[in-house]
Amino acid sequence: MLLKVENLQAEIDEKQILKGLNIEVKPGEVHAIMGPNGAGKSTLANVLSGRDDYEVTEGHVTFDGEDLLELDAEDRARKGLFLAFQYPVEIPGVSNKLFMQTALNAVREERGLPALDMFDFDEFAKAKIELLDMRADLLERSVNVGFSGGEKKRNDIFQMALLEPKLCILDETDSGLDIDALRVVANGVNALRSAERSFIVVTHYQRLLDYIKPDHVHVLYNGQIVKSGGFELVHELEENGYDEIIQQFENKNQ
Amino acid sequence: MQRKISPVAQKAVAHYIAESERLNQACDNESLKQIREQAQALLKQQGFPTQRDENWQYTRLTNFVQKHFEVKPASKITSEQLHKFMPDFAVTKVVFVDGWFNESLSDDLAALPKGVSFESLQDTFDIAGDTSALFSSESEITKEPFGVLNSLLLADGFYLQLSANAHLELPLFVLNIQTEGQHMSNLRNRIELADNAELTLIERYVTLETSTQDNDSMACTNVVTEVNLAKHTRFKQVVMQEQDDNAFYFNNQYIYQDDSSSCMSFYGSMGSQLSRHQNHIFMNGEHIESQQNSACLAKDKQTVDSRTDTQHNDVWGNSQQLHKYVLTDHAVGVFNGMIRVDQKAQKTDGQMDNKNLLLSDTAKMDTKPQLEIYADDVKCSHGSASGQIDKNQIFYLQARGIRRADAIKMITHAFLLEPVEVINNAAIRQWVTARLSAGLASVQKKVRE
Repeated sequence: MLLKVENLQAEIDEKQILKGLNIEVKPGEVHAIMGPNGAGKSTLANVLSGRDDYEVTEGHVTFDGEDLLELDAEDRARKGLFLAFQYPVEIPGVSNKLFMQTALNAVREERGLPALDMFDFDEFAKAKIELLDMRADLLERSVNVGFSGGEKKRNDIFQMALLEPKLCILDETDSGLDIDALRVVANGVNALRSAERSFIVVTHYQRLLDYIKPDHVHVLYNGQIVKSGGFELVHELEENGYDEIIQQFENKNQ
Repeated sequence: MQRKISPVAQKAVAHYIAESERLNQACDNESLKQIREQAQALLKQQGFPTQRDENWQYTRLTNFVQKHFEVKPASKITSEQLHKFMPDFAVTKVVFVDGWFNESLSDDLAALPKGVSFESLQDTFDIAGDTSALFSSESEITKEPFGVLNSLLLADGFYLQLSANAHLELPLFVLNIQTEGQHMSNLRNRIELADNAELTLIERYVTLETSTQDNDSMACTNVVTEVNLAKHTRFKQVVMQEQDDNAFYFNNQYIYQDDSSSCMSFYGSMGSQLSRHQNHIFMNGEHIESQQNSACLAKDKQTVDSRTDTQHNDVWGNSQQLHKYVLTDHAVGVFNGMIRVDQKAQKTDGQMDNKNLLLSDTAKMDTKPQLEIYADDVKCSHGSASGQIDKNQIFYLQARGIRRADAIKMITHAFLLEPVEVINNAAIRQWVTARLSAGLASVQKKVRE
């Protein structure tokens, strides 16, 4: 098991968002987490990646045999957890290249690999840029500054490709993307799929999932997983919306 | 109007007037004597500014007024002692020690290219009969309290003239070294660029040995520089203020620009307990470009004050400014920027931006960007923002495996170094970047401890 989340409960500003969430992800699996606005999708992504605005009040998370919740955000990243942001952050003045070289060498240090110098990094990065069919000037610019929405998301996928994580969490990476940008992101994800690498794709819409075709689909509502299934669940949701599932769940709990 | 001057300030006034009279007794140059006497009268009348003066509200002179700095002969230093202050690229070196030109430590300035003349002001006073032409902006200079003090103690500095089309092969690097406590380095510089001349000037202000907290080791530097830029001239200037943390630093620069001239002035500030750097820019011609950037770093109880007064007096002027401050501990940052656009100065483009990063809860920033516009067809903007590092930025870097402390360092570096990008010459830019990075590293070491 790569990731095991048990009875996860978390709050922000004393408001409980996650109310006992369970999920298990094996190596190589692709899980989609869908749900209406306010269900707790982004909270789950942020709690797993270690943003300290959220407080975990109950539950356990094991990642690759370690207690994930005990680790700082940077250590989670170094151990192979990657978050693709819903809103990638602009950092004026910090070049994408310096940022990515520093990040890559941090992760390599954790894996006991030697740091890459500028030339080795350039070569390594160039291969990834080609793999993802991205613009070569990406590295020369400040982190996300002046990037379009699509470019920001692509930059995140590029970082994912460089860092070669074990678990990739995509937090509504598809939001705000036009169809071409969506395709580039999806192709990037598919190019990175492997027998060892797992994905959790958090999304509100089925668009991205049509390209990625997840193995497992979960519906998150009111801080809990209320229904799980295979890829067919995506189309069920597309036709009927969330209302039916939510209604079933509410009835069951009455 | 006679101001009420406190007893402490009265003592300081009496001290500096005595210093000025002492200098005058040993002086044969009548126009110089007269300049000092005029300043004596002004100082007697005005004393020193206090917090009640609007322009000195946040820049307290309490410590300065209690010290009585003296204009003394320069200490002897060797060229080995200079070595660590020199940049890693080729320059023409000019050395001032304690406010006095040092010919033997400087490069051979008689060998400068044709059309370039460098003299120490002291030599100019000694040789020439009537030097009153040197004081053409005296009425402007003495509007500033430290301009008055500079005239009062006027003794040395440099007088640099470039004739039409002249330029120097190498940047001129003026190293100003303070060696001793209680010493006033009083510098008056005058730079004249005739039509189409070009100059790259680097000024560095340092202390020979870093002193302890000992009061006696404090020194003061007070500079007035006048720059006259004729038509189509290009003037690039970098000033690095890296004096000892006990020192005082005051600098007033008066830059007069004629048609189609361009001026780039960068100020980097890291040292001194109190520093105040002021640009007075007079854009007195058409199609002038004027750029003023600064990067200021302050820690402990340092006060760093940087101000600009930019006067657009003719059409099609373009002025750009970016001023950034990084403050920590109990440091105080002060920015005051004024863009004045004369009624005549149509088609003016004036942009001024001030951004400040506060790394501690106790650091303080006072900022006042101002516009005064009397023309109707202009494009002007001014803005200021102060705050802490965006925690979303820190988290973004952490989420990629970068340690929190390193993330803060990267973001802070990038923030402070943005104004440096205005320096076109790569070697100079890298040198300034290295200086500021070293300053940040020492600040951040403290933050972590």
